[in-house]
Amino acid sequence: MRFLHLIRGNLFRNKVRSLLTVCLMAAIFFFVTTLLSILATFDNASEASGVDRLAVQSAISLTTMLPYSHEQKIREVPGVAETAKLQWIGAYYKDSRNFFANFAVDADKMKAVWTDYAIDPAQFEAFKADRQGCLVGPELLKRFDWKVGQKIVLKGTIFPFDPQLTIRGVYYHPVNVSSLYFHTEYFREAGLGGQGLTGTVWVRVSDTRKMAAVSQQIDEMFKNSEYPTETFTEKEFQKNFISMMGNIKLLFTSVSVCAIFMVILLAAITMSMSARERVTEIAVLKALGYRPGLVLGLMLVEFVLLTLFGGLAGTLAAKGFYQVFDMARATSGFLAGFRVYWQTVALCLGASALVGIVAGGYPAYRAANLSVVDGLRKVV
Amino acid sequence: METLVEIHDVRKVYKRDQFEIPVLNGITLGVPRGDFLALMGPSGSGKTTLLNLIAGIDRPTSGRILVDGQEVSSYSETALASWRARHVGFIFQMYNLIPVLNAAENVELPLLLTKLNRKQRKQHVENALAIVGLADRMTHYPRQLSGGQEQRVAIARAIVTDPTILVADEPTGDLDAKNADETLDLLQRLNAEFEKTIVMVTHDPKAAGRAKHALHLDKGVLAEGQYGYEAEPAVVRT
Repeated sequence: MRFLHLIRGNLFRNKVRSLLTVCLMAAIFFFVTTLLSILATFDNASEASGVDRLAVQSAISLTTMLPYSHEQKIREVPGVAETAKLQWIGAYYKDSRNFFANFAVDADKMKAVWTDYAIDPAQFEAFKADRQGCLVGPELLKRFDWKVGQKIVLKGTIFPFDPQLTIRGVYYHPVNVSSLYFHTEYFREAGLGGQGLTGTVWVRVSDTRKMAAVSQQIDEMFKNSEYPTETFTEKEFQKNFISMMGNIKLLFTSVSVCAIFMVILLAAITMSMSARERVTEIAVLKALGYRPGLVLGLMLVEFVLLTLFGGLAGTLAAKGFYQVFDMARATSGFLAGFRVYWQTVALCLGASALVGIVAGGYPAYRAANLSVVDGLRKVV
Repeated sequence: METLVEIHDVRKVYKRDQFEIPVLNGITLGVPRGDFLALMGPSGSGKTTLLNLIAGIDRPTSGRILVDGQEVSSYSETALASWRARHVGFIFQMYNLIPVLNAAENVELPLLLTKLNRKQRKQHVENALAIVGLADRMTHYPRQLSGGQEQRVAIARAIVTDPTILVADEPTGDLDAKNADETLDLLQRLNAEFEKTIVMVTHDPKAAGRAKHALHLDKGVLAEGQYGYEAEPAVVRT
């Protein structure tokens, strides 16, 4: 604290340069915060998965369908509490930009398998009773300004049918906030021409300790059938689904690291200039008895504060911006549930402090070990 | 009179690439406590190097330097820094104030290394600035002061810790005649009134004339006939 005025004075010595450095840091950390928040959104989607659910899909690929009979056989496996068919539909609303996740599901079993979804009982009953009824997430309702009771028509892409639906209710889930669910039966008749096929069968297991055993038993059962299966926990399934879009995590992480590396180089240039300008002053401090370690510490604190200000500004700006800016709408529902978590803010602040240490480390070290005589010779 | 600074056969050689440049060639002398000594000589004679060695910001290639009985030439870098903080006050030609700090904050800089609390530091700073006649300029930044005032702030910074010795390198070199006179008056007062031992490097014979004694260096050695002091004991040893 006793050196505060010295640090403060040096921080604002060249106001324009300090401001530009802070702005640069802020811009880059706004960008990094955005990328990390997208990753956090993906992670959160898989982390919030039900711990007692398994997803059974074709061992060939997710796009290969399984016969309805599989579901009945799976239900017989010891440890299986309930099953339900779920099919990805891939339809959109009015315009292809209005894309969101929509599924055909066994309406009567939905609550028994997806126990972490909260639905108003009356609305759920209305949904079950209407073959063309659907449940929607709250974000979708907001995005398209839909009302419960409204009739909507989706445009099919994978299957040659356009679901004509009536919104019967809203489901609530901590992460999945913008999906739509309608009846498997309606899909079978209208979309598959009566064929009994489904993309996945979802299983709720009665004892979570037996997840691996149940999973193994299911796959073993269909190993030699025409439709072999591969069973995943819901978390694994979500991760696989995300990885179908390519290794987004690696891509985003690489871009973030590149951005941080870039800002380290830019900050290092600024800090080297700042240290070089002060050679004589540093020599004077050392002549007055400031030890090299103290000089190093003072300069590092100054540099870290500078980058920390930038990181704080950029990260908090991102946090504020994305509270107003609807990322879900901007990405056509791809990033539904996107938000800047405080953990991401903390991570970015840590990274910005690290930038200060790495970028300022060498200039500060050189300054700290500067020969007093050489430093004073410049003007004395 | 007690000898404060003892210099025994000190040599200093600088290495520049593959060249060795001898700057001091076997200097031996002593400076009594309470003296005001001027070191004179042409450029490159080694006077600033000698001052730097006495002040502990440089080390001799060979020989010994003792200040107040402590052999500073054998100290490590860290130990030397601590020693300088306690025992040496610096006055530079270009004042070398920190431009982002005001006068009081500049004067306070050496005190930040002590255990004094904020109130005590403030008291010391006020006293030092009062001695140099700048008690009313405490919140002024260097850019708001004249050259003479800046040098007086620098002198206040040099004396604020009550050091054993003051070293001044061309303290009037950047000042006009009037301000130079005032600065030299102040140094004389510090020597006479506060009994500060001062070693001053200068080109200016008029400035040297204000010191109690003057020594001439030429090509790294003390010029002949310049070894003796009037003060006892004779401080120059060969």
